[in-house]
Amino acid sequence: MRRGFLAVGAATVLLLAACSSGGREATEEDGASGGNAPGSSGYTIAFITHETPGDTFWDKVRAGAEQAAKDEGVTLKYSNDPDAGKQAVLIQQAVDSKVQGIATTLVTPDALAGSVKAAGAAGIPVVGLNAGIDQYKDLGALMYFGSDDTVAGESIGERIAAAGAKHPLCVIHQQGSVSLEARCAGVRAKVPGTENLQVNGADDAAVVSALQAKLAQDKTIDYVVTLGAPIALDTVQAKEQAASTAKVATFDLNAETAKAVKAGTIEFAVDQQPYAQGYLAVSSLYLYLKNGNDIGGGGPTLTGPSYVDASNIDKILPFTEKNTR
Amino acid sequence: MTRSPVRLLARPEVGALVAALAIFAFFLAVAPAFRSTGALFTVLYQASTIGIVAVGVGLLMIGGEFDLSAGVVVTTAGLVNSLFCWWFGVNLWVGALLSLLVCLAIGFLNGWLVMRTGIPSFLITLGTFFVLQGVNLGVTKLVTGSVASANIADIDGFRSLQAVFAGNFGIGGVTVWTTVLFWVLFVAVAAWILHRTRPGNWIYAVGGAPESARAVGVPVVRTKIMLFMSVSFLGWFVGMHTLYRFNTLQAGNGVGNEFIYIIAAVVGGTLLTGGFGNAIGVAFGAFIFGMTNLGIVYAGWDPNWFKAFLGVMLLLAVSVNLYARKWGSR
Amino acid sequence: MGVPVIELAGVGKSYGPISALRDVSLTVDAGSVTCVLGDNGAGKSTLIKIMSGLHPHSEGTLTVDGTARVFGSPREALDLGIATVYQDLAVAPLMEVWRNFFLGSELTGGRFPFAGLRIKEMRRITDAALRDMGIEIDDIDRPIGTLSGGQRQGVAIARAVHFGARVLILDEPTAALGVKQSGAVLKQIAAARDRGLGVVFITHNPHHAYLVGDHFVVLKLGAAVLDARRAEVTLEELTLQMSGGDELQSLSEELSRPS
Repeated sequence: MRRGFLAVGAATVLLLAACSSGGREATEEDGASGGNAPGSSGYTIAFITHETPGDTFWDKVRAGAEQAAKDEGVTLKYSNDPDAGKQAVLIQQAVDSKVQGIATTLVTPDALAGSVKAAGAAGIPVVGLNAGIDQYKDLGALMYFGSDDTVAGESIGERIAAAGAKHPLCVIHQQGSVSLEARCAGVRAKVPGTENLQVNGADDAAVVSALQAKLAQDKTIDYVVTLGAPIALDTVQAKEQAASTAKVATFDLNAETAKAVKAGTIEFAVDQQPYAQGYLAVSSLYLYLKNGNDIGGGGPTLTGPSYVDASNIDKILPFTEKNTR
Repeated sequence: MTRSPVRLLARPEVGALVAALAIFAFFLAVAPAFRSTGALFTVLYQASTIGIVAVGVGLLMIGGEFDLSAGVVVTTAGLVNSLFCWWFGVNLWVGALLSLLVCLAIGFLNGWLVMRTGIPSFLITLGTFFVLQGVNLGVTKLVTGSVASANIADIDGFRSLQAVFAGNFGIGGVTVWTTVLFWVLFVAVAAWILHRTRPGNWIYAVGGAPESARAVGVPVVRTKIMLFMSVSFLGWFVGMHTLYRFNTLQAGNGVGNEFIYIIAAVVGGTLLTGGFGNAIGVAFGAFIFGMTNLGIVYAGWDPNWFKAFLGVMLLLAVSVNLYARKWGSR
Repeated sequence: MGVPVIELAGVGKSYGPISALRDVSLTVDAGSVTCVLGDNGAGKSTLIKIMSGLHPHSEGTLTVDGTARVFGSPREALDLGIATVYQDLAVAPLMEVWRNFFLGSELTGGRFPFAGLRIKEMRRITDAALRDMGIEIDDIDRPIGTLSGGQRQGVAIARAVHFGARVLILDEPTAALGVKQSGAVLKQIAAARDRGLGVVFITHNPHHAYLVGDHFVVLKLGAAVLDARRAEVTLEELTLQMSGGDELQSLSEELSRPS
C-alpha cells in the first residue's frame, strides 16, 4: 500500500517535471524575438524590488526589465525582499559586487537611504522606480520611473466623481501598505464619501465573502475601487451575489480584468504600466552609462495613471495576454 | 452513572457553541445588516471554505500533529489541475484526479517523514510549506510565463466540475453554496469516525498517549499517516472549489490560512497537545472565525481595527471554552 | 504449580556496546506469581520490554508454550496472550474509561466502511469486568486521567484479564501508590492468579512481593543474583538482597572508622 503511494508520488513528480520543462521552451520561443546575447554590452545592472513573491504586478516589472536587458545586451541581476532592512542589504551587496548600475524601488526611503548613498559614493548610478517619487532626488538617485499613488488615486476619484459617485468603497487587500493607503486617500480627496475596506488578498473566497457582506450591509455604495486586478475580479463575483448595482473600477491590469473591461463588468482599469517601469529603468541606466543621457528632464518620468476602458480596450487586450501590459 | 449537566460543559464543542452563540447575539445586536438569512449564508459560505480543511486539521491535532502546509496545499491542488490541463489541453477531470493523487501523496509524504524521522510535524510540514510555496510560484511561472494560472473556463469538463465543487442554488431568495453542504457532510463524517469507529478511538489514543497506544496494539504510524492524508484530501477539495469558482488562481495564495485552520480547531476546543477535541467543536470554531470576520464588515466598523478585534474575539472564545471545560471537569 | 507458559533461558540484551541484561533465566507458570525485584538500573525494564515485544532480545532463547520466539512488536506478544501493564503509560489520560478499556481491541458492528463501534455493549462489558475484579468506579465515562493511580492499574489489569491474557506483566504497579491503594492492587494480582493467569510482578518492594509471590528473581546490574521459590527464601533474605545484602556488609566494613 505504501509502495503504491510512493509510486504514485514519483509518477506525479515526473509528470510535473515533464510539463514544466515544456513550458520553459514555449516562453523562450516567445522571448526570442530580437535581442542580443546577454552581457554583450558589458554592463551589469542590479535590479532590486520589494516584491512579495507571487504578485502578478511584479512579474510584469521583472519581465520588462529582463526584456530591456536582452534588447541592450545587459546582464541583469534581479533580487527582491519585501522587508525594508533586507532590501537595503541587497542594495549594499550590489554596491559591493561593483555593478555598473542599480535600479531599485524606494518604497521605504528612510531605510534604504544609507545603501543608496553608499552606491553614489562608490560612483554607481542609481535610478528609482515604482515608489519614492518625492524622495528619490534626496537619496541621490538620478532618474525615476513610476507613478504617484496619491495622484493616481485622485485621478480615479475625479473620474468617478464626474460619473456621479457619492459613496465609493476602496478595497485594501494588504494590511499596512503605504502605497495602497495613499491610493485610497487620493480617491477620498476627490470623493469625500469614500469608505475603506480591509480584505485578506491571499484568499479569494474570503475576499468575495467580505465584499458581499459589505455590499449587502450598505446598499448606498455606488462604486467599488479595487487596488489589484485579482481583487477586481472577486468584486465582480461578490456584486452578482449581493445583487448590487455598484460599478467596479480598479488599479492594475491583467488579462482577465482586460476581458472584464471588454465585457463591461469592470468599468475601467487604471494601471501604472509595470512592464514599462522595469523596461525604462534598465534602459535609462544603459543610456546613461553609454551616452550620459538623462531621461525625464530633471524630474520623474510618469508611467501612469494610464486608463484602460471601452474606448481603447481592443487595442490593449492582446498585450495583456502576452503579459506586457 | 448519570451524566450531570455540568459534566456536559466539559465537552469540547459546548464551550465553542456558547462562544458562537454569544458572538452571534452580539452581532445581531450591533449590526442591523447582519439580521438576514442572506447574511447568515454569506457567513456560512466563508466559514465553510475555512471549515472544510479545519475539520481535517482538527482531527490531525487530536492525533497529536500539526500541518503547516494545509494552506498552500489548497493552492497547489488548484494549480496542478489548472496548469496540467491548460498545458496539455486535456479534459479537466483528468487534472482533478491527478491533483487528488498529488495531494494525497503530499499528505502521505508529510506523515511518512514525521513518523520515519521522529522530527516534530511542526518542522516537517514547515518544510513542506516552504517547498510547496516555491514550487507553486516556480512551476506556474514556467508554465504560464506569469504567476497566475490561465483561465480554464473553456476547457472540457469545466461546467460539470463547477457544478460539483462550486455549485450554488437559491432558496427563498438566498444563495446557498454547495460548499456549505459539503462542510456539514465532512463534519458529520469526521464526528462519526471520531466517536463511533475504531480509527476514531485510535486517533484520540495516538494523540493523547502514542506509546501506550502502540503498546496495546494500535497502528500508530498508519493512523497518523491517514490523518495527514485526510488533511490534504480536504485541502484538495477546497482547492477544487477555489479553482472552479474563480477560474484562475494566483500562485502565491493560500499562505497564512494554515494558521486560520489551527485557530478554528483551537477555538473549537481542540487541545494543542493532542488527545482531546471533536469535529463539531472545530466546525463551531470555523463558524466563529467566519462570523467575526464578516460581522465587523456588517457592523460597518473601521476596517483598520479588524485584526485587533478578531484577536479579542478569539481570546474570548478560547477563554470561555477553557472555563467551561474547567468548570465541567471539576 | 501450573504449566510453564513463558520460559527464558540465558536471555540477554545489548544496546550497541552497552549490555543491559545478561544471562537471565526465568519461568512463568500459569496460576502463579513470579516476582522480579531489583534496584533502579538493574535491568527490570529491559526484561519487561523483551517479554512484552517492545524490543527483541539479542542473546538466549525466549520460549512461549514450548516454541522459541523473537518478538517484533507488542502485537505479536499480545496475540500469544502476553499483556503488559506499564507503570506510567498504561492509558490515554483524556479518554473515557471504557474507551481505554477497549483501546486496540474495539468491538465493531456492520461492515467496512460502515463499521460502527458497539458503544453500549462496550460500556456494559467494561462495567462488568471492573466489578468482577473488585474495582468500583462511579462513572465509566470519566476521562481515565481523573481516576486514582490504583484505580488506573485496576482498569489496566481488568482489561488484560478480560482480553484473555494468559500472562500479565505488571511494571511497578505499586510504586507510586499509598498503602491502601497498594493493597487493592495486590488483591487484583491475587484475583488474576486465581483465574489461572501467570503474573510477572516487577517491583523494588520486597514486602509487596512477598505478600503475593510464588517465585522470586532478584536482578542486579543486568544479571540475576537470586532465583528462588517461595519455600526456599524468607522475607528477611529477600529484603537483605534488595537492600544490597553482602555489598552492604563490605560497605559497612569500608566505612567503619579506624580505631
